[in-house]
Amino acid sequence: MKLFNTTAFFAALTATLITVTLVLLGSRNLQNYDAALVAYLFGTLFAIFGVVYRYSVWIQRPPTKVYLKSSIRTLFSKEFIQCSWFSLKDFVKNILFQSFIIKRSKKKGIAHLMMAFGCLMAFAITVPLTFGWIHFTLVPETGLYPNVENIYTIHFFGFEMSTFPINSFVGFMTFGALNWCSVLVIIGATYFLQKRLKDPGLISTQTFEADILPLLLLNLVSITGLGLSLNYKFMNGKAFEFMAVSHAFFVIVFLIWIPFGKFFHIIQRPAQIGAHIYKEIGKNTGMQVCKHTKKEYTTRLHVTDLKEITTELGFNLQNNAGDSLLEYSPEGKRDLLAIAHLQARQTSGTYFG
Amino acid sequence: MNQYYKLQEEFFVDMQRCIGCKACEAACAECETNGHEPMIHVNYVNRAVTIQTTVQVCMHCDDPICANVCPADAITKDEFGIVHTANTSRCIGCSNCVMACPFGVPKKVEEYDLMMKCNMCYDRTSVGKKPMCATVCPSGALFFGTREQMEKLRPNSSPVNKFIFGMETVTTKVNIMLPKGTEVLKVF
Amino acid sequence: MAKLPVESEKIIAQFGPSLNFPSREPLECRDEPDKVVETHCCFCGMQCGIKLLAKNNKVVGFEPWMEFPFNEGRLCPKGVLRYMQNNHTDRLTSPIKNTPGVGFVPISWEEAMDNIISEIKRIQSQYGNDAFSMLSGVSLTNEKSYMIGKFARTALKTKNLDYNGRLCMVSAGAGNKKAFGLDRSSNNYQDLEKAEVIIVTGANVSETFPTLTHWIWKARDNGAKLIVVDPRVIPLARTADIHLDIRPGTDSALFGAILNYMIRHDMVDHDFIDYFTSGFEDAKDAVKDYTLEWAEEITGAKKEKIEEAAKLWGKASTSFLLHARGIEHHTKGVENVLSCINIVLASGRIGKPYCGYGTITGQGNGQGGREHGHKCDQLPGNRDIENPEHRKYISKVWGIEESELPGKGLSAYEIIEAIHRGEIKGLISICFNPLVSLPNSNYVREALEKLEFYIGIDFFLSETLRHANIVLPGSLHEEEEGTVTTAEGRVVRIRKAVDPPKNARTDTEIILEIAKRLGAGDKFSFSSSEDIFNELRVASKGGTADYYGITYEKIEKNMGVFWPCPELDHPGTPRLWEDKKFRTPDGKAHFNPVKYHSSMDPVDDEYPVILTTGRVVSQYLSGSQTRRIGKLVQQYAEPLLEIHPKLAAQFGIRQNEEVVVTTKRGSAIFPANIVETIREDTVFVPYHWPGKKSVNQLTSGHLDPISKIPEFKVSACSLQPTGKIVEVNKFSETYKSS
Repeated sequence: MKLFNTTAFFAALTATLITVTLVLLGSRNLQNYDAALVAYLFGTLFAIFGVVYRYSVWIQRPPTKVYLKSSIRTLFSKEFIQCSWFSLKDFVKNILFQSFIIKRSKKKGIAHLMMAFGCLMAFAITVPLTFGWIHFTLVPETGLYPNVENIYTIHFFGFEMSTFPINSFVGFMTFGALNWCSVLVIIGATYFLQKRLKDPGLISTQTFEADILPLLLLNLVSITGLGLSLNYKFMNGKAFEFMAVSHAFFVIVFLIWIPFGKFFHIIQRPAQIGAHIYKEIGKNTGMQVCKHTKKEYTTRLHVTDLKEITTELGFNLQNNAGDSLLEYSPEGKRDLLAIAHLQARQTSGTYFG
Repeated sequence: MNQYYKLQEEFFVDMQRCIGCKACEAACAECETNGHEPMIHVNYVNRAVTIQTTVQVCMHCDDPICANVCPADAITKDEFGIVHTANTSRCIGCSNCVMACPFGVPKKVEEYDLMMKCNMCYDRTSVGKKPMCATVCPSGALFFGTREQMEKLRPNSSPVNKFIFGMETVTTKVNIMLPKGTEVLKVF
Repeated sequence: MAKLPVESEKIIAQFGPSLNFPSREPLECRDEPDKVVETHCCFCGMQCGIKLLAKNNKVVGFEPWMEFPFNEGRLCPKGVLRYMQNNHTDRLTSPIKNTPGVGFVPISWEEAMDNIISEIKRIQSQYGNDAFSMLSGVSLTNEKSYMIGKFARTALKTKNLDYNGRLCMVSAGAGNKKAFGLDRSSNNYQDLEKAEVIIVTGANVSETFPTLTHWIWKARDNGAKLIVVDPRVIPLARTADIHLDIRPGTDSALFGAILNYMIRHDMVDHDFIDYFTSGFEDAKDAVKDYTLEWAEEITGAKKEKIEEAAKLWGKASTSFLLHARGIEHHTKGVENVLSCINIVLASGRIGKPYCGYGTITGQGNGQGGREHGHKCDQLPGNRDIENPEHRKYISKVWGIEESELPGKGLSAYEIIEAIHRGEIKGLISICFNPLVSLPNSNYVREALEKLEFYIGIDFFLSETLRHANIVLPGSLHEEEEGTVTTAEGRVVRIRKAVDPPKNARTDTEIILEIAKRLGAGDKFSFSSSEDIFNELRVASKGGTADYYGITYEKIEKNMGVFWPCPELDHPGTPRLWEDKKFRTPDGKAHFNPVKYHSSMDPVDDEYPVILTTGRVVSQYLSGSQTRRIGKLVQQYAEPLLEIHPKLAAQFGIRQNEEVVVTTKRGSAIFPANIVETIREDTVFVPYHWPGKKSVNQLTSGHLDPISKIPEFKVSACSLQPTGKIVEVNKFSETYKSS
């Protein structure tokens, strides 16, 4: 792979510029922008640049490109309706409720769900805030008198959306939401952390930077975030400065880390739906029958595409007769090897020694 | 991790010795890294005409096709030449690796929507033990040890790690025992 | 009457078989077990060394035991998954009582014991002592086998004790005693290593004794020629140098012809024959007409191949002959064994390095369990119950008058017949599942139903025990200390890994308690398994199977000791007959004249096909343990009828089509598996399954006149396709078929 990918660079640059534009628009030329969030903003912009860059590099690789092409093809075909319903179901089942993880292990699935929901909800709240798209103002009259309940107005892209009293349910949820996210993430991440410390199978294959660090980071972000609120509420803001700085630090490390490390899987995961659609529409091309076992093993489309992918990657699996190894099922291929081995042994006159 | 990995010990396969008992399959499932799914394959070659069975572990290719065709970068090879099973957070269950592997090794576990494959019992080999399958194999179809040991045990066979599939030559970490002097096996 | 309290489906729902699968969640405790116990597999006669991991009084996994010399960590799938029998939901944990209309209900030990004792006393006073019989099994340790022999004769005071080795080792045992005066494999398996020629006959080694394959392959690495005799192309036969695919039941014809060929071509060891054997002339005379052409006609194997095999065997300078149930499960089982021994003796290749002969013991303790008084005609040390000297010695060891010692009783199948005739009224069984393992199972069922009182001791409620009046929860292999003797004659230590759970007790405790309550407490005051072993040592002293010089300590230190070991400083005997002093009365090895006879259930127009039975690698015997282990069940989920495509075409049978197989005993339905790896005149069905899926509904109760082994291996049958194609899959519920 090339070290520098021009297409990806321009895609990433474009995405970053669009985001900046939207920030300017949304905050009415920074008029509504909360200066305290500017460090987060730069972190997020960096993350966007990185994610889009890596995503573009990724999507250009031969095996991935096949999905891109097939998805675009499907988008403009008559199978579109069939596929949208299928993808919607798939999205709810596998992305929203992550049923494939729950099937691997119930405990793991629930822990992951907590972590994922915690993170995604936190993103949904913090990103618009960081971009200055949303901000809150106190209705001035309610702030004047200590015995009158404070009422807040919520603004989106500079437009006034609604008002709510601070002690209402909406108020409780709005200002407490991030805390709830933190709690979910802490429970989930701690579960995984202890598992990674105890499970012999995991211990043998994990590395610190790929597996432990992300969990630590999630915990640190959540704990410092939660700390900010608790600090405000119970410690009258003592050490608030320290908490704020450390929270910002961990969040920014987290953001910068997204394109490089384990968190990129959050961006990649929806490709699973692509793979499922590919399998579904592939069935319309019929099933491939193994030349040795005479049993069906995958779709014809898959075999055709794999021939292309392997060739593009520099593997030539065709023999002189023009047959491709890819026309054999996994079991068929194992049998081919066994038959070749048997022949070699038989030719030599002895099976043993 | 890894500090006890014995580089001088290698994996040797001889499928003509296989008796199809599936002790390896049962033992493989005991491996801590695969949650009671066996990763090794034992199957009849063509039961209607012969009792021949074959046994297949991951060959741990030098340039693994499975990793190349993976759209999700889920398969990696480490510094010891072990090609690891799919990274659970990345694998999207597309089965490219399953269909492209020239040895028919990766296995798609449909229920988990995940590819799983042999990682040479990494939980054991990484602490200096032998892989489960090769430890229990009652026929010597699977053997894990040094080249010197193997030469002594089977002086009339040579370990081969070069295989021809069509126009492609694949070299692997795992060896297959063939008649003395054989250097390459043309499979297809 | 010993009938099922409720229909079997209800019993199955409560007591299984149900399948035990490992948890998908990794077991954290495996890394830090409380105990790592060096013991042996509970299944076949190989007795592979294995380490069990125990945590919180449960066996949670295994680790290969690399140091144990026979298997060096190697295992078969049964061995790998043996730990799954522990911590099983089907485990009996309380005495239960057969309550008609209700089922089996838990009762207290006190109530169970009272009931048992009063019924034993009632039956014995009403019908005589011998009307209460006992059936045992050789998955039990040497200690328990010995104790049961003593228990039946001195506490239960019955002559009718026999064991499930009657379906296993008796033909080989009788043959070996006739020829050598001693019943043990002549060599340990290390002698296979450099044997030039190996004959394996009637032994599907790779499925029934998988870990033995290593030693045979090792020999082949060293250039050995392998001759396999089997009606099927078994895994061992595929790569064999010669495969003699003989018709089931014609083994003695084959070996007779080989002996004749050796004699005619002067491939015999005259010196050995002259100095160390007797009976050669008679044996020679018996086979003088057995030409290769005749053998081809009888056995169906090509005469050229027979000749090639005879030449290889005749000219070899080192060799090993192995046989198992394939030649022994016949009405001429003993003759078949003797025909094998004849060609070994003629070659003179015995009692020397890499020159071996042996039967492969099937059950876990098939060797030790057949030596110490478990059999109806035997006393400890492999003594004869009808020999006055032997009776005197054992009576002294047991502290009884010789006149009190019962004589020879009935063999296992004969006990069932006597029950059927109404002569035996009571039965106590341990570790035996005759309803699945004995032939003609419908007849066996009728017999069980006629019992007035039936007591069972076991850890699972086997198919047979559903007929019991009271079942006592005994112990698993890993719940008691002891020793077993492997197929090689190596005495090894079984170590306890966990205690029996809940209200279950060890088999030993149960037998001791019953003995005490029968008034024989003074003879059963053992405080440990080692205590029993020490009495066994004395009881076996001077017998052919002499264990006197073997102690627990010695076994542990040497990873096993080979008997005979008559003195404490004796190293044991891995290879017999190096001194050429055979244990027969004249001190010589005996040739025995063997004439070929046809089987008792020959094919005819009505039943034109030979049905033979055997095992698969993932199941063990009657399956009462292995049909409860999920992965083993899935490996081979239901019995299939193996049939050659030509025979299938003749009957119009298609792949996976259900076929009605009928013999004179009855019929059963099995899906067809059409394969070229079997003779064209023979079909094969494995026997591990119960009820309607049991092939033993079809096998016959014809017995060998000497060994009393049933003729499982040859039945005449007819085939009728049903037209129904079924899907054979691993989720079949055949494992609990009723």
